[in-house]
Amino acid sequence: MFEKDEYIPKEDKVKFIDKSILAFLNILSVMKRKTSLGNGYVYSLNPVVKLGFTILIIIFLSLSRNFLFIWTVNVYLFLLLASLNGEKIKDILKVSIIVPIFTLVILIPSILAGNKLNSMMMLSKILGTIIAINMVSYTTRWTHLTKALKLMHIPDIFILVFDITLKYIYILGEFSLEMLYALKLRSVGVNNKKYGSITGIIGSLFLKSKDMAEEMYSAMECRGFSGEYSSNIKFKYTFKDFIYCILNILIIVLYFYIGRM
Amino acid sequence: MIEIKNLSFKYKTNLALKDINLEIREGEAVALIGPNGSGKSTFLKLINGIVFGDSGSYVFYGQEITEKKLQDNKFSKLFHKSIGFVFQNSDAQLFCPSVYEEVAFGPRQMGMDDKEVDKRVRDCLKLLDIEKLKDREPYNLSGGEKRKVAIASVLSLNPEVLVLDEPMNGIDPKGKRFLRDLIIKLNKSGKTIICSTHDFEYVKGVFQRAVVFSEEHTILRDDAYDKVIEDEEFLIQNNIK
Amino acid sequence: MHIPDNYLSPSTCAAFGVVMIPVWKRTVAKVKKEITKKKMPMLGICSAFSFLIMMFNLPLPGGSTGHAVGAALIAILLGPYAATISVTIALVIQALFFSDGGILAIGANCFNMAFVMPFSAYYIYNFTRKMFRGKKGEKVAVLLAGYISLNLAAFCAAIEFGIQPILFKDATGAAMYCPYGLSAAIPSMVGSHLLVAGLIEAFVTLGVYSYVKKVDPNFIYQGSEVKSKPMYGLLIGMIVLCPIGLLATGTAWGEWAPEEVKDLVGFIPKGMEKGFNFNSIMPDYSMAGLSEAASYIISALAGVAIILIIFKILNSRRNRV
Repeated sequence: MFEKDEYIPKEDKVKFIDKSILAFLNILSVMKRKTSLGNGYVYSLNPVVKLGFTILIIIFLSLSRNFLFIWTVNVYLFLLLASLNGEKIKDILKVSIIVPIFTLVILIPSILAGNKLNSMMMLSKILGTIIAINMVSYTTRWTHLTKALKLMHIPDIFILVFDITLKYIYILGEFSLEMLYALKLRSVGVNNKKYGSITGIIGSLFLKSKDMAEEMYSAMECRGFSGEYSSNIKFKYTFKDFIYCILNILIIVLYFYIGRM
Repeated sequence: MIEIKNLSFKYKTNLALKDINLEIREGEAVALIGPNGSGKSTFLKLINGIVFGDSGSYVFYGQEITEKKLQDNKFSKLFHKSIGFVFQNSDAQLFCPSVYEEVAFGPRQMGMDDKEVDKRVRDCLKLLDIEKLKDREPYNLSGGEKRKVAIASVLSLNPEVLVLDEPMNGIDPKGKRFLRDLIIKLNKSGKTIICSTHDFEYVKGVFQRAVVFSEEHTILRDDAYDKVIEDEEFLIQNNIK
Repeated sequence: MHIPDNYLSPSTCAAFGVVMIPVWKRTVAKVKKEITKKKMPMLGICSAFSFLIMMFNLPLPGGSTGHAVGAALIAILLGPYAATISVTIALVIQALFFSDGGILAIGANCFNMAFVMPFSAYYIYNFTRKMFRGKKGEKVAVLLAGYISLNLAAFCAAIEFGIQPILFKDATGAAMYCPYGLSAAIPSMVGSHLLVAGLIEAFVTLGVYSYVKKVDPNFIYQGSEVKSKPMYGLLIGMIVLCPIGLLATGTAWGEWAPEEVKDLVGFIPKGMEKGFNFNSIMPDYSMAGLSEAASYIISALAGVAIILIIFKILNSRRNRV
C-alpha cells in the first residue's frame, strides 16, 4: 500500500455518469436561480392571476384553429418576454426551444406527406404554450406558485407537500450529486457493474430519503404539528394585475370573435 | 423537573442507552458530553418524546411521558410547546417555504392570531439577527443561517426547556460566539438548557453542569462543568478529548 | 414518456383529467388511512425521490444513455397508493417548473405513469411472487413488474397519440394534433419500450430493490393480500377499452398508405437518443396494409401473448427444477 502503482487505464464508457451529473447540476442551478428575481412588470404580477390566466391562454391556444389568433397570442407572449431582462430572456428561450425543435423533427414525415398547415399550426401552438409556462416559472417564486395551486382546489396539506417536495428535490439532489461525483472519481478503469453503481446510488438515495422523512416527521411533531395545515400567504392585487386581466380577457374575447368569423 | 429513572433503550438490536438515571432542575444549563455513539443524541430524542425507553420512566414537570400519553393530541401539543429541540441536522428541521413561515409555524399551530404571530416572529428573527432572511427559502441558506432559523423556529414556541444537539457543528467562529451569548442570555432569563456538544472552546461560561456518557452507553460522571473540563486525564481516557 | 401539450387534443386532456380525479381522491383517502395524517408530509420526500429517479442517466450498450421512470420501484417499495401520489406530484412539478411534459397533458401523463404503471407493477409483482416463491421468484417478480408496467404505460400513451388523428380531424381530413395513427404510434412507442426502455426500467427496479432489501429489508411495502384476478381484469380492460375510441367514430384510416407507415415507424418519440431500427422487426405487420382496428387488436394481443409466454416458460422451468 505504501508503494506506487503502475496503472494504465483501459477504455470505458462513462458518459452516463457525466450526463447524470449534468442533469443534477442543471436542476440545482435552476432552483438556486429563483431567489434573484427582477424588477419588471411580469415579476410584480400576482402569482394567482399570472398562473390562472396562463393556463387559460394555454387552453385557448390548444383549442384554436385559427392562425391569426395563435400568432396574436404568440406576439403578445413575445412582447411580455421582451419586457424581461436580457439574461432571463436568454434562459427562457434556451429552455423553450427544445420541445418545438423535437416536435419539428417528429413531424417531418407528416409534413413531407403533405400535412404542412396543421404541422405549422401545431408548432406555433407548442411554441406559444412553452414560452407562456416558462415565463411563469422563471418570473415567480416557486413557493408562491405552489400556493397559487390552491386555485385548483388542491387541499392545503398538499400545498405543504409540494413545498416539501421542492425542498427535498434540492437537498436530495445535492446528496445524489455528491455520490455521482464520488462514483466518477472512483471510475478509474473498467466498471463491469455500471448498473450496480447507479442502482446503488439510487438505493442509497432511497434510504437517505427514508431517514430524512423520519427526521422531518419528528421535527414537525416537536413543533406541534398534528396533521392540520393552512397555507397562509395572502397575495396582493394591484393595478398591474388589473391591466393584465384586461389584456387576457381581450385575448379570450378575440378567440370567440375570430371563431365566429 | 426532569426525572429519568433506570431508563434503557434499544435501537433495533443495538443497545443505545443503559440504565440511565438523571435529574435536571429548572433553570439549569447542562452539557452532555461523550464520544460518538455513546447515546447522547438518542438521549436527547428521548427527552423530547421522539423515542421511548424500553424500561424505566421519564417524568417531565410531574407528568410521566409515555408513547400512549403522547398520542393524545392536546397533551402532545402542550408537551412539545414546553420543550424545544434543535436538531443536529438543520435541513430536517426546516420544512416551510420561507423563513418567516418557518418561524411562524409553531405559534400558528398554537392557535395565536395573525398579529400576535407576527410580533413573535419578528422578535425571534431579531433575537437571532436574521431579519434580512425573512423571505428566503430555508434550503437555500448557508449552514450557519439554517442553524439560526432552526433555533428561531423553536424559540418562537417559547419553550421552558431548550434542547440542542451539537449546535456548534459546522458554524464559523463568529457564529459560535453569537450562539454562545444567545444561550447564556436564554439561560439567564430562566430557560433550562440541555445541550450536547463536542466543542469545548466556544462554550465557556455557558454550562454549570456536565453529564458524561460513556462508550458503554451509561452515565459515567455527573459533576460541575468546570471540574470535568479541567480533568484532562479523565477526558482523554474516555475519548472525549 | 412525458407527453407535451398540443400533441393531444384539449378534449383528450380533459377526459384524462376527469378520469384521474377519482383516482387521486381514492389514493389520498387510502394513504391517509395507512399513514396517519401527521405523516402525510413524508409524501413530499417520496415525491422528491420519484422526481430524482427520472433524472438519472443509465448506460445502454453502445455508449448511449436512457432514463427510467421509477414508478414500478416506488409501487413495490411504498405501495401503489403512495406511488400514485408521489409520481403525480413529481410530474406536476416537472410540467410546471421544468416544462417537461405539458400542463394540459398532466392528466394523461399521470394516467400513464402515475396510475397504470404503479398499479400494474404492484399487481404483477404480487401475482408473480405468489406463483413463484423463493428468492429467484422474487427477482423475476420485480423484473417483470418493471418491464411490463412500463410497456403498459407506453401502450396507453401510444393509444392516446394514435387516436388523435382518428378523432380530431379538420375539414380537409388532416389531423389537428398528433398526426400519427395507431398503426404508427403503437409499434414505435411500444416497440422502443419493449426493446430498450423496458429493460432499463426492469433492471433499475431490480437493482434498487435488491440494494434496499440487503441494507434494510423491513422497508418494503407490506400491503394487504392482492388477488390475482385484478391483473387479468386490468389486461382485459385495457384491451376492451381501447376500441371504443375507434368504434365511436367508425372511420377507417385511409390517408396513409402502407409504404408511408413504414417510414413513420423509423421515427420514435421522446426517450430515445439513438435511432433504433425497428423496420426489421415490424415490417410485415405494417406492410400488410391492415386496417386500423386490426393492427391495434393485433398489438394488444401480442402484448398479452408475450406475457403469457413468459409465464409459461418460467413455469415449465420451475417444474423441471
